[in-house]
Amino acid sequence: MTHQRTRARRGVRAREHESSWATACTARRCEQGEHEQGGVVGVVVIQQVLFEVAAPYYGHPYFVTGHALFNAIARRADAAVRRELAVSHGVFVPKEFGEYPRGHSQSGYAGKLGGELPAVEAYEDLFVYRDPRQGWLQDGRPRDAHNTHDLQSHGGRLAFAPECFFGRPPETRNRKRSVSWYVHCYLHTGRGESDVLPVGESVLDGVRVGGARNYGFGELEVVDTQLVDLEELDYSRLEAGAASDEGRCQLELVSPYVLRSEFSGADEQSVPWWWKVDNDRVSGASAGGVLRRRETQLAVDGATHAVEVLDHGQIVGFDGGDVVGTAKNGVLRVGTHSKYGFGELRVRPPGGGRVPERGPAGERVNWRERRVDASGGEGL
Amino acid sequence: MASRRRLTTLWESVSVLVGWSRRVRVTGWMYWWSRRWSCELCRSRKRLTRMVVIAMSDAVEDVEVGVEGMVGVYRHDVHKFRGRQHDSARGEFAGVAVNERVPLGADADASMLSRPRGNPEQSVDNHATPDRLSLVSGERAVDDPRLVANRRGDIEWLVTSSDPGVLHARWLTSEVAGAYNETVYYPYTSLQYHVLLAGALLDNYREGYDLEDLYLVATEPGEFRRDPVAAQSSDVVEVFRTVLWTPALALHVTGAPDGRPGVRLGERAVRSFGDVWARLPAYPFDVGGGRRWRVLDAQLRRIRAWSTALAYIRDFTAAYEPHDPPADARPSRGEGP
Repeated sequence: MTHQRTRARRGVRAREHESSWATACTARRCEQGEHEQGGVVGVVVIQQVLFEVAAPYYGHPYFVTGHALFNAIARRADAAVRRELAVSHGVFVPKEFGEYPRGHSQSGYAGKLGGELPAVEAYEDLFVYRDPRQGWLQDGRPRDAHNTHDLQSHGGRLAFAPECFFGRPPETRNRKRSVSWYVHCYLHTGRGESDVLPVGESVLDGVRVGGARNYGFGELEVVDTQLVDLEELDYSRLEAGAASDEGRCQLELVSPYVLRSEFSGADEQSVPWWWKVDNDRVSGASAGGVLRRRETQLAVDGATHAVEVLDHGQIVGFDGGDVVGTAKNGVLRVGTHSKYGFGELRVRPPGGGRVPERGPAGERVNWRERRVDASGGEGL
Repeated sequence: MASRRRLTTLWESVSVLVGWSRRVRVTGWMYWWSRRWSCELCRSRKRLTRMVVIAMSDAVEDVEVGVEGMVGVYRHDVHKFRGRQHDSARGEFAGVAVNERVPLGADADASMLSRPRGNPEQSVDNHATPDRLSLVSGERAVDDPRLVANRRGDIEWLVTSSDPGVLHARWLTSEVAGAYNETVYYPYTSLQYHVLLAGALLDNYREGYDLEDLYLVATEPGEFRRDPVAAQSSDVVEVFRTVLWTPALALHVTGAPDGRPGVRLGERAVRSFGDVWARLPAYPFDVGGGRRWRVLDAQLRRIRAWSTALAYIRDFTAAYEPHDPPADARPSRGEGP
């Protein structure tokens, strides 16, 4: 391991109120009124962790679930860590050349991203690697080939390769180059003051996740970790967006939101009242509503429990008041099983969509007028 | 370039240059040029300026010559089978007019769905050929010597029919078209799905829909058979607007979703497939029903270029058959939620 470091940006703050936010305060309307303003009083520090995928991965294809990461870490840690630690889903990231996405506190060419954790100064910086489309990848390289997993078939079972090779022209020195895969997740504690963070690299290094672990699959090596204090981040873009009259902010479901779980003691949820679902964007919605649902499984002690979720990647409007409070709570996750990575939300200011190239609707020329001005597009 | 063949005089070749620039206004260098030539050749600046203007207006009117109905859109990219640029393409192939401009900017929008704006860069530095690369195998998508042997016949079959419905069905089910990329600069893109997307956009534009009115609609494929006749008689395939038909699913781009699950493409044509796909209100397959569906879904959310993503669905479906899992497949354990 040549590239190990820990950047402690902020210590854990002293906290007055204990908040069992991550598990107790769910999508019910809170008694206190403003759910989305609910108190993130105590928990402010997260530990970002970047793993390198060291072996083929035969697990959940969308992401390494927080539950899988939690179990892998918990078996190496003490009881306090097991009790307090909450783990996000791990998003797959390729290591490639890129440029900082729009909204990031830095701009322009970024060199190789994916293999280390960029410094976090603003709220938007938290999400550079959290979107599977990885919008920072450069266009001058085959970005879709870099960002899709190379599939290996092991007796018909499709595993993700830990690295992907690309050929080079014969005149170059090396005949091929490789693009390796990383997994980005973050840890935090859910209850009051604790000295659990930062979790040591010796605990994190070498965990195995996914299927066929006994055969060496799913091994992850720590390459980078850093502490980030949510209270010290710059939320000015969100505040400016909320104060403007361009429209409402948007919420993106970074990980699935649990509606119903058969795991004992889990609450049943409905779509939160502070989500504004846009019916105009879709057609033919199923009986369950405009938001797509999915059933997944939670495996605990050899038994599986069905979990019904709102699928990740969907976007709803934000119909609440406190944007910054909601943004922090979204990082610490809302709803059932948030300890295991479910319910992660990202708040986007109005006009800051997931595909920034789209721009506002008004810029586009009507097709009737384009009859005169149609620029080819077939020039290649 | 239908207008180019008729040109015989120097002045009309000026109009070609102007037509290439596709801007109907006299710029500074054109004025300088007209002065220079008028002095040396015809000594009549006024006359030359008038002729340039006439030729320019002529070039603009000629832009869509020969594109009748929907036929032209399925013939507009024949030059890409040979990796040629549009400007050096032939105007006729197998007795039909090809490589003409597609009206209403449908071709430009379709290309923006799969390629970045601005000057292209060679993204894969050891592969600058018209052969498409597959994201599933990493190799040439179709590596069949029989294709090379009968290439001309196959391309003729794709473009010569005068019935646009037949052309659409042939492109939709073609093996040959899937072997070529949209541009040599971006070899993972697919010429087949670029043309089908351009056709779907054009048909919608002609009915008065604008881009932001259009939906990506995902349905089950119905009874699939890789055959143009089957495509035309299928209940699922919508003429011109179905852009993908595989044994696993069918995708349509249409302004009239008619209650089928669909989501809008967005206000502008950009590479946004993963984003649009992730916002569908319902998937055409049950991701809980098999891990291969989830692998396909997860990969599609990572792809931005539309023609690359559509080609990925097709390649993945052919290679791993998620719709037809092996009988001895057992559910995987340890996969977690």
